Formats: sequence, C-alpha cells, structure tokens
Amino acid sequence: MTIFVGGFVFQFDGFQKKAAETMKHAHGTTTLAFIFKEGVIVAADSRASMGGYISSQSVKKIIEINPYMLGTMAGGAADCQFWHRNLGIKCRLHELANKRRISVTGASKLLANILYSYRGMGLSIGTMIAGWDETGPGLYYVDSEGGRLKGKRFSVGSGSPYAYGVLDDGYRFDMSVEEAAELARRAIYHATFRDGASGGVASVYYVGPDGWKKLSGDDVGELHYKYYPAVVEQEMAEVTIA
Amino acid sequence: MGDSQYSFSLTTFSPSGKLVQIEHALMAVGSGQTSLGIKAANGVVIATEKKLPSILVDETSVRKIQLLTEDIGVVYSGMGPDSRVLVRKSRKQAQQYFRLYKEKIPVTQLVRETATVMQEFTQSGGVRPFGVSLLVAGYDDVDGPQLYQVDPSGSYFSWKASAMGKNVSNAKTFLEKRYTDDMELEDAIHTAILTLKEGFEGQISGKNIEIGVIDSEKKFRYQFGFDYSTKTLQFHIA
Amino acid sequence: MSIFEYNGSAIVAMVGKNCFAIASDRRLGVQLQTVATDFQRIYKIHDKLYIGLAGLATDAQTLHQRLVFRHNLYQLREERNMKPETFASLVSAVLYEKRFGPYFCQPVIAGLGEKDEPFICTMDSIGANENANVIGIELAKDFVVGGTASESLYGACESMYKPNMEPDELFETISQALLASVDRDCLSGWGGHVIVVTPTEVTERKLKGRMD
Repeated sequence: MTIFVGGFVFQFDGFQKKAAETMKHAHGTTTLAFIFKEGVIVAADSRASMGGYISSQSVKKIIEINPYMLGTMAGGAADCQFWHRNLGIKCRLHELANKRRISVTGASKLLANILYSYRGMGLSIGTMIAGWDETGPGLYYVDSEGGRLKGKRFSVGSGSPYAYGVLDDGYRFDMSVEEAAELARRAIYHATFRDGASGGVASVYYVGPDGWKKLSGDDVGELHYKYYPAVVEQEMAEVTIA
Repeated sequence: MGDSQYSFSLTTFSPSGKLVQIEHALMAVGSGQTSLGIKAANGVVIATEKKLPSILVDETSVRKIQLLTEDIGVVYSGMGPDSRVLVRKSRKQAQQYFRLYKEKIPVTQLVRETATVMQEFTQSGGVRPFGVSLLVAGYDDVDGPQLYQVDPSGSYFSWKASAMGKNVSNAKTFLEKRYTDDMELEDAIHTAILTLKEGFEGQISGKNIEIGVIDSEKKFRYQFGFDYSTKTLQFHIA
Repeated sequence: MSIFEYNGSAIVAMVGKNCFAIASDRRLGVQLQTVATDFQRIYKIHDKLYIGLAGLATDAQTLHQRLVFRHNLYQLREERNMKPETFASLVSAVLYEKRFGPYFCQPVIAGLGEKDEPFICTMDSIGANENANVIGIELAKDFVVGGTASESLYGACESMYKPNMEPDELFETISQALLASVDRDCLSGWGGHVIVVTPTEVTERKLKGRMD
C-alpha cells in the first residue's frame, strides 16, 4: 500500500495495516439527525462492538463540540473523538479571532478539509455536524473519504437503513419538538432491533436558537416492551417434510 | 424329477412355490453334526459334536463354537467353510455397530443382520444359500440371556432350547422332556451334555464335543479341558 | 467473517441433580441483520434427549432432519430410544461422514440416561467429542456451550454454575447465564428458550430479553 503525502512516500507495513483495521471497531452504529421547524434533532445508539463482541453499551456517540454544535460518531471511535475535539479547538479559535461563532457550514468544512488531507491513510469517520448559527439550523454530513453534504435529513452507520425507514415514513417539517424527538427515538429503537451492531441507549438531543439540550436517554431494552407491551408469542410451527 | 429343471437358476421358484436350493441347504444341515443350545434362567449354553474324519487330525485345531463378539457365541450344523463366511460377516457387522454407537450390539440386532445376509444369498444372482444353520447364544443389557437359531432361508427364531443336525428330532424330544423354565445354567450345561450323549456314536469325551457358555458376566466362555469322567468343567475365557 | 457466525447463535446445557437444562437464544440473522426472533435452535430427539445446533442455520436444520431420520430407523429396528451416549456417538459419526465438506454446526447434546442420570456433551463440526476417552464418551460434569456467544457463556457459566442444583435453581442459573452472555454478543440474543428435564417432567419456557 503506497500513500503519497506532500512528496513523501509512505509504506504501510503489515502492522500498520492491522492497526488501521482494528481501529475501525466502532463501525456498527446508528446515528441520525434532521432539521425541522423548531431546529435540529440529533439521536444515536450507544453500542460499541469489535467484530461480534459488544465492547460497550454506554458510548457517547453524540459529541458536544460547543454549546451550539453537535457532532455524531460513526466509524473509528478514536478517530471521531480526536477530530471532533480538534474541530472544537478550531471553532473556539475562530470565535476568538472573529468575535462571533463559526457557522455550521464553516465548521463542517474545516473538518472535511482536514479529513481530505488524510484521505487514504486509514481514518474511519462518518459524522454529522449539526448546530444553530446566524442563518438558523444547519446540518452537514462529513466522512473520512472526503465527502461533505448539506441536507435536511441524514442517518449514518450500519443501522442507518433501518433508521431511514422509520425516519422517511414519519418525517414532517412542521413537527413539534416532542414529536420530532419521539420520531428520532423510534427510528433509533427500530435500528437497534434489526441491526446487531446497534443497541444500548437511544439518546436524543435538540439544537435550537439557544443551543443544544439533551432531551432523553432511554435503554432500548426497555423501549422495546414500551413500544410493544403485549407481543403475542408467535409459536414456530414445525414444517412437515413431505 | 420335476424340481430339478428349476435348478438352472439357483434363485428361481419351482411351480410348487419352493426354492429347491434352500431345501437342499436344509438337507446339508440335517446331515451335519448335531448342535444344540439351552437358554437357562441365568445364562445360555451351546454345545456340539466334534467328530473328526480321522484320529490323525489334531483336534485342538478344530473349533466349531466361535465368538461373534465377546458376549455372543455361535455354533453351526452343516458345512464348516460356509459357517466361516457368516462368522466373518457377522463379526464385521458387530464391529460396525460398535464403531457407530460406541455400544455393544444387542443379540437381536446381530442375529437380524446375520439372517439378512443369509436371506440375500437366497435371492442374489451367482450365489447359493449357505449350507448351515446357526445357534447364536448371547447375553445383553436389553433382553438378558438369548438363544437364536438362524436357518439357510434367512428365517430366525428365539428358542428356550433347540437342536439341529443329524439327531435333531431325538435331541429335541430329549430337550422337551428335560427343559424347565427355571433351569439354572449348571443344570443346562449338564442337560446339554446328556442330550449330546443320547445320540452320540461312540464314547463322548472332552475331545469330541465342544461347549460354550455365556452368563450374566457377559463374557462368552469356551471349554478347553473338559473332563467328562469327573464332570468338572474348566471354562476359559475364549 | 466465519460461516459459523453467519446466522448467530448461543447454546448452553447444564447438569443438575438428576436433571439437566438446555437453553438457546432465539435470533436468526444474516450477519448483522436480524431476520427472525422466534428461531428454534434446540431440537427434541425423544422425551429425555435434546440437541442444540449452533452455527449455520440451514445446516442445523438439515443435520437435524438427518439425525431424526437415523433415530427413527434405530427406534424401528431396536424398539427402544437411544441412550444419550449412543446418540452422541451417532452424531459424531454422521458429522465425520462429511469430513471434507462439513455441516457448519456445533452440536450441544443433553439427555437423561437409562437410570435417569444426566448427560451433556458437545463436539466440533466434524464430530470430535469434547470429554471423549478412547472407549467412549465421558460425561461432562458441569456445563457445555456453543455458538457465537460461547466465550461469554464460558465466563458466565464458570462463575454462576454450582453442582447438584435442583430443577428450579438450574432454570434460574442457565437463564441468567444465557441472558448475561448474549448481552455481550451482537449476533445472538433477542429472547431465550429454556428446557429443563427431570425424570418425571419437561419444563419449557420462553425468556424475555433485550431486543437489541
């Protein structure tokens, strides 16, 4: 594997390659965020897995960059944590230099540019940058392949297809904060049900004009029996073999 | 002779519904040396004459009672070489069963397998039926002491006591008189010897009869040095 | 990813005082995707003999059908049920037949013997018995596990198991061990299935568990 960075030629040896692969452990995840009338909702599960093994059920996948901006975590846990912290520093420096908070657009672009500069070196990040700035609510999807997308609705991680299913079905722009939070919670719950790599706690954050606020953190083990209190046991019937 | 024209194929029925080769095989058994078996309350004994063609034959080299497994013994009447084929196939069957289940083959199962082989030789092409009947004696966890007779046709029966070979009808009559349901093994051994003695031409001795015994120890034993004059039985693990 | 982990599974069997218990999870997945949460992984051979088949679900079902077939023939031929030891030996032989193209299953066998003595054992996908000696199969005295959650199950059973448990306590122990174990495994869980067998009765229960 040959990587070109600033004229130098890097050779990944077997160990480095292996290290880059093991770093990708928190791959299984469900995160989502969407913009609606009142602001932005951000939600995520809390499971970290290494292969089939569940290494933690209580990971904070929603990272508080500053009081007005949140980042979500999918991919390598260390990569996400480090670069979000790094982004937090850069945002604060921007604030001190310009005497005003950085826009979500600007912050996400800072991150995207950094990730692009490391492209191909094994970083694994799939994140959403959500916040409130002078222009109102903002939401961007940024990944370690260098992609950056502006949008109204995103979900990232191995559970995202399931979350999208619920989200796309239930989404309306003019929801109340409560309705929006419930939609996010349900989307995360359904993702944890179907996706083996998602689970633990469904956390829901809301970002409005006054900054972010954590609305809820529900154990999905309990949510299941709240959503489906009287599940009729479906007995497996033996298939008669002709 | 009407039947003989149907002997061109060994496995074709005659118009009277007989497979004449089986009849012939039974004749071979009927003219063979006498064998008998008695199932006692606590074990089974099988015994047979061992008449040798000449006094020059080393009688220790002839064994008519053989082991199929360590707890199942067999004796035949009829053609000795045919019996060895059956013994070889039965031993293999018993080992295959053990290989599969890690469990000793029950007597019923081994008898059935052996009978199946004998039946196949009445229906397959290019072969003839076996010229032997077998008495199989065993003792297992499933059914306790058991005595089976298997005939050339492949049919088999469980007996309390049975005989086959030259003196079959006399021996059976004798057994019918002597047999009791609560018979102990020691009695059964004695009765077996007496039965053989009944139809025996000449003086019976430890050298011209064979006796095999299985009891609840589940080790089939075969007699070597039987001294009839003192009636002491020395059994050795076969 | 190993083909053994394609569907995900967790199976455990424990010996108690004159009784045994066998338990499994209820998930059927395709890698990380959960497809069913009412999947049967424990199969009954006769009233006092059960087999759990961890691993690839399609092979587990086929293998089960072949084992039932072989047991039916045995029943007809010998007019009796198989002893657990005998059945374990049969399973081993059936698996080794496919030495070079195996069923991707790990069997967990549990039963009561002729004198109602409990028997449990497990083997690999080509029939090598755990707890086997030269002559036959020796009883595992405590517990056996299988499936994608087997490491967690070893840990849970090692700490929770006690010898000579009565049926009620055995049920509680095996259930807690199963539920605790599958909570550390992405590929198994979504409820549990427990069977406790004593000389006189069979108790079958479905467990509620975390559905993530």
